Amino acid sequence: MRERNAAVPSLPVADVLSVGDGRRLSLPRFVLEVRLDMPAWKQAVAIGCSIVVGMLISAVILIVAGVPASDLISELASSIFDAQSFHAVLVQAAPLILVGIAASLGFRARFWNLGLEGQMVWGGIAATAVSIYHVGPESLRLPVMALAAIVAGMFWVAIPAFLKLRFSVNEIIATLLLNYVATYVLYDLLYGAWKDPSDAYPHSAQYAGAERLPDIGFINSALPLAVVFALVVWWLAEFSRFGFYLKFIYANTAMARLVGVPIRNVVLTAVLISGGLAALGGFVISTGSTGRLTQGFFEGYGFSGVLIAFLARNNAASAAVVAALVAMLFVTGQTFQIFYQIPFSMVQMIQAIIVMCVAASEFFIRHRLRLQR
Amino acid sequence: MASALELSGIQKSFGDFRALDDACLTVEYGEVHALLGENGAGKSSLMNVAAGLYSPDAGSIRVAGNLCRFSGPREATQHGIGMIHQNFKLVKRFSATENVLLANPRGAFRSGKKAIEREIREKAQALGFVLDPSRRVDSLSIAEQQRVEIIKALVAGARILILDEPTAVLTEGEANRLLATVREIAERGAAVILVTHKLRDVKAYAHRVTVMRGGKTVTTLDAQNATAEELTTLTVGSNIVTPSRSAKPAGEARLIVTGLASGSIEGHTPLLDATFAVRSGEIYGIAGVGGNGQTELAAALVGGRPPSAGTVEIREPGAQALTDVTGATPRERRDHGVAAVPADRQAFGLASSLSIADNFGIGFVHQGRFGSPAWVDHARMARAAQQAVAEFEVQGVRSLWQRAGLLSGGNAQKLILARELSRMPSIIVAHSPTRGLDVRACAAVQRRLLIARDQGAAVVLISEDLDEVLSIADRVGVMTRGRIVAEFDAPADRQAVGRAMVDHA
Repeated sequence: MRERNAAVPSLPVADVLSVGDGRRLSLPRFVLEVRLDMPAWKQAVAIGCSIVVGMLISAVILIVAGVPASDLISELASSIFDAQSFHAVLVQAAPLILVGIAASLGFRARFWNLGLEGQMVWGGIAATAVSIYHVGPESLRLPVMALAAIVAGMFWVAIPAFLKLRFSVNEIIATLLLNYVATYVLYDLLYGAWKDPSDAYPHSAQYAGAERLPDIGFINSALPLAVVFALVVWWLAEFSRFGFYLKFIYANTAMARLVGVPIRNVVLTAVLISGGLAALGGFVISTGSTGRLTQGFFEGYGFSGVLIAFLARNNAASAAVVAALVAMLFVTGQTFQIFYQIPFSMVQMIQAIIVMCVAASEFFIRHRLRLQR
Repeated sequence: MASALELSGIQKSFGDFRALDDACLTVEYGEVHALLGENGAGKSSLMNVAAGLYSPDAGSIRVAGNLCRFSGPREATQHGIGMIHQNFKLVKRFSATENVLLANPRGAFRSGKKAIEREIREKAQALGFVLDPSRRVDSLSIAEQQRVEIIKALVAGARILILDEPTAVLTEGEANRLLATVREIAERGAAVILVTHKLRDVKAYAHRVTVMRGGKTVTTLDAQNATAEELTTLTVGSNIVTPSRSAKPAGEARLIVTGLASGSIEGHTPLLDATFAVRSGEIYGIAGVGGNGQTELAAALVGGRPPSAGTVEIREPGAQALTDVTGATPRERRDHGVAAVPADRQAFGLASSLSIADNFGIGFVHQGRFGSPAWVDHARMARAAQQAVAEFEVQGVRSLWQRAGLLSGGNAQKLILARELSRMPSIIVAHSPTRGLDVRACAAVQRRLLIARDQGAAVVLISEDLDEVLSIADRVGVMTRGRIVAEFDAPADRQAVGRAMVDHA
């Protein structure tokens, strides 16, 4: 053995072949190949299949957890076909769309904004402050609240953005930790200065009628608002010059800088819009559904926003569709919570399973398995 | 005696692209066998088949006469085949010993490490390598890292050694040293396959040479008897006209660089003092061994990194006054007519995941040539890209919307030139624009620079290829240890330039 490892071979040639094994040669086996390119529709099919696989795995877990298999499908279906549930899905969809497009825009700038919840919290706080201090005439109160929310969210995301651009501080950590800061500011207000005087619960006083997003027929105006923003972001990212710059920053920042893309301005703009949109998500929940600032209104949205952006491949139009599906999952999850005592964290687990399946499908998009005989 | 390695009828396709088409190669023990061909001729693909990285669609592999089929590189290693890739497969944070150990586990970590270290020392000594195996790989020079790779393969028991473009990253001296060692390894009984597109390496160090073109092996010749012209014709398929200088007087100074200094970028020599001026209608070549401050100079000129001292001034055509662009951003420089052809095409030249049309268009969108800020007119961009791709002879473009990363090295470079030069820049900073390109692509790139020069551009050509600088530059500055130490008018004396490159301590 020692000899075979010598730097300069000195043994007869045939000795090299002592490892050779002729019998295995005829066996078929799988060969892994790298794909150069895959048409878009095939990629879509691969992702679609992976989502189905993820749902099947989730179904098995839910059945094991005690949900009868027959109810599983009927509950999911009723989230669309039952008027009340469908309404709940639509209400749920608006903030999810907003956080989804917020995350996708941040990700497009290679800014991993995990502070969506913190920005939502500040959106809620700013909107509520406008309500409490009666800023502006009543007829303009809602737009002022929305504007205040957006500005607050931008301010909150500007901190990690500044730290990243100026001192190269990792934004994943910074945005994530700032969530806790925002949350405790919220608790401080709700347990202290802003506690509803009419009851002892830790939430703010109810907004006045003019401070709530009105219903338009069957749906709350939060949804069309979110859809409009999704379309604007879609246009911005896909068709505008700003979006064209973003594509290059995402693909190769060093190269983009050299060909004259104003990196700092573009990234900063994208990140600020991202923070503002997330904050608008907080505004939409407070003024559209809860009607006041509550202590847990933002929970779970940060993760869902990241998930939506990931599944939609950072495309705002797809993000709106994915957000609607996630909203269905949310509402179904709430039903399961009530009727089968399934913890709501199960919803997050299902989201995670689907994400993992889609991530795994990347492997088949990039590689091809071939049976070789 | 059976041949060391016998590849016959090898076929390999990637999608629609046929990379290897009935390729055959026979290598004997005791010889250095050169595999010569242009970029994209299929040399690396064929070697990846031999090393077990690709499984062929058809064809057979025989090692020492026995039919083999590799399911992965590990099996090829077991058959005594070792490949040294162009991009080294080393863990940068590990020491040389640990890297060799990683590829060749030897029982317990501590005792294994000792054993490996001893083997490395023995082999390094036998080959005359100077190498400290306890140093971290990222602190080693490129040539030293390559030695680690060779030793790694030999420790694994390689008797068939494949070197993929080993000299591409080395200086002339290092390359000669390496090839001499490789020849010695072969003469002691191993089979060495030298993948290259350099005729000079073939003539000087190979016993036999196999020429590849378009995925096929064209022929195998005795390296000593084959003439350079014969080999060129075989690799290219036709003769190539080498570019020549035209005698047109240079105009006014366009780019004036004074006392430029900048800190080190990749652990090389920092830029200490560069002073030169480039006039309209001339190519100013900067010759020198790589790592003597060229990267830093290029970065300071194109705005990649602001210099720590000195000034860069430009005079735009028609303007009297000089504009100081020392601290300007790349965008501002572009607006003043500066074009950049970066040395590292993958990292700074193209966004390989985006389309060809996008990669062309990005150079122009901010001028509003392709629509308003609200709307990028992709149709118009595609038309312009189509025209530029045709004009600059970018080949391999099946669709303008295909990823730029699918282009071969030469065509990627032509695409960069199409973007940078089609807007008629007054100043061009080209850093190693032909590095790693085959003969034909080299000629095309150099022709482009000459055309731009004749149209009145001031061209800075930073190149480690002395032949290139001498053949197309109108003036030559020599860069050594961070300084421009000498300047020559063309035609410069090769000996004098070479002396300046090494003399100045």
